[in-house]
Amino acid sequence: MSNAKQSSGPPAIVGIVVGAALMFGGFWFSKNVKLEFIKTLEAQGIPLDPGKTISIIGVLLILFPVIKFFFIAPLAEAIQNRTTELERTFGEAENLRAEMTQMKQDYERRLVQTEADAREQIQSQIKEAQSLRQQMMAEASAKAEELKASAAREIETQKQQAIAELRHHVVELALQATEKLVEANVDDERNRKLVADFLETVEAPR
Amino acid sequence: MGDWITQSSQLIASVEEPHGADSHGGDHGDGHAWVSWEGLLVYVAIVVGTLFVLMAQAKKGLNNRFFTNKLTQLFEQVYLFIENMCVGTIGAHGRRYVPMIMTMWMLVFSGNLLALFFPTSPTADLSFNLGLALVSVAYVQYEGIRANGLFGHLGHFAGPKLGGFLALLISPIIFVIEVVSELMKNVSLSLRLFGNIDGGHRAAEAMNTLGAGIYVPFGAFLLPIKLLTVVVQAMIFCLLTAVYLSLVTHHDDDHGHGHEAEAGHAEVAPAH
Repeated sequence: MSNAKQSSGPPAIVGIVVGAALMFGGFWFSKNVKLEFIKTLEAQGIPLDPGKTISIIGVLLILFPVIKFFFIAPLAEAIQNRTTELERTFGEAENLRAEMTQMKQDYERRLVQTEADAREQIQSQIKEAQSLRQQMMAEASAKAEELKASAAREIETQKQQAIAELRHHVVELALQATEKLVEANVDDERNRKLVADFLETVEAPR
Repeated sequence: MGDWITQSSQLIASVEEPHGADSHGGDHGDGHAWVSWEGLLVYVAIVVGTLFVLMAQAKKGLNNRFFTNKLTQLFEQVYLFIENMCVGTIGAHGRRYVPMIMTMWMLVFSGNLLALFFPTSPTADLSFNLGLALVSVAYVQYEGIRANGLFGHLGHFAGPKLGGFLALLISPIIFVIEVVSELMKNVSLSLRLFGNIDGGHRAAEAMNTLGAGIYVPFGAFLLPIKLLTVVVQAMIFCLLTAVYLSLVTHHDDDHGHGHEAEAGHAEVAPAH
């Protein structure tokens, strides 16, 4: 299209000057020159006026450069500019698209990487939590065992203490019973029965 | 202004005047009128004036974005049509001929279109068409000389390169035939356009005469075919100019191929 602006003929001013000369020359020719063969052509039904032809050649020589510079060159330039603008816009759009595709790929890659990192981190946290849980459970178990042992020792101590106290009470009771027996002064049969009943009462809780 | 319109009307009306001793305008014996020098000037002024008004309006819509002006869009389509025709016929370097061929197309098309509304039109005048054809063929020769040099262009007329005796015998004959052929291009281009447009008028006039008794303008029924002629003839004129340009600006050694194409167009042309 840009070629349309290139000069493909002689200088425009030459064409315009020659054209103007031919226009007037044609008029003069048409009015003053009568050619014999033209009359013959007219007689045969072919209406030819060389004067008009010369004038028209002059008009065309003027019109071609004038129309070209008045309208066709600006039109061609506008079309060319628009085409360039469109190509530039399409180029920009294509670049943006490529950039977007690249960004999308980067984003997807980063997303995959982030997901992998997150998964890895979660797994690591789970493992750590499990380890911590096991450690805490072990500690709790050890503590429980310790408490259990401490409780058993306490129970044993309390038991021994209770047994000692019980023995002490039994002795006391036996002494009291004996004392009562002695004070009552009853017969042997009755003593025995009393002792036996007492012992039954003492042993019953066992 | 009123005087100018009156004078213009008189000039247009001169088409109906009888053939005077000092004027070439008038009737040439078969009842059909043809335009005088002044009348042709008025018609050409109408065509050129209309074109410039339209182009000025279209020019307002030019920008580097989308053309919103309908007239600009129309001219853009014409430009692209001519450009496609030039590139398709001549090749990539055909774009440089677009301004010339587009101007020619607009003139012929507007001239043809005028024939639908007026008693005659510039393109219904053989002298006008001969002027167009002479400019077209002269431009082709100029471009041929520019592309091949003067002797290269003249050598193109001599046909394929022959050796020895054949070159002396056949090449001059081919040269003469080619020169005559180039001259006949003027006749061919001008007569075809004149015949089609003037013939349309004559046919319409004859049919109107046929229906004059019953007040029916039978000639109006020819309007669709005349409209087709308007478009087709403008295209043919420009297409043939493009073909002629293509023949002289192609730098191939196969001369015969180019002449075959020319002959092909010459065969097709009379059908229009």
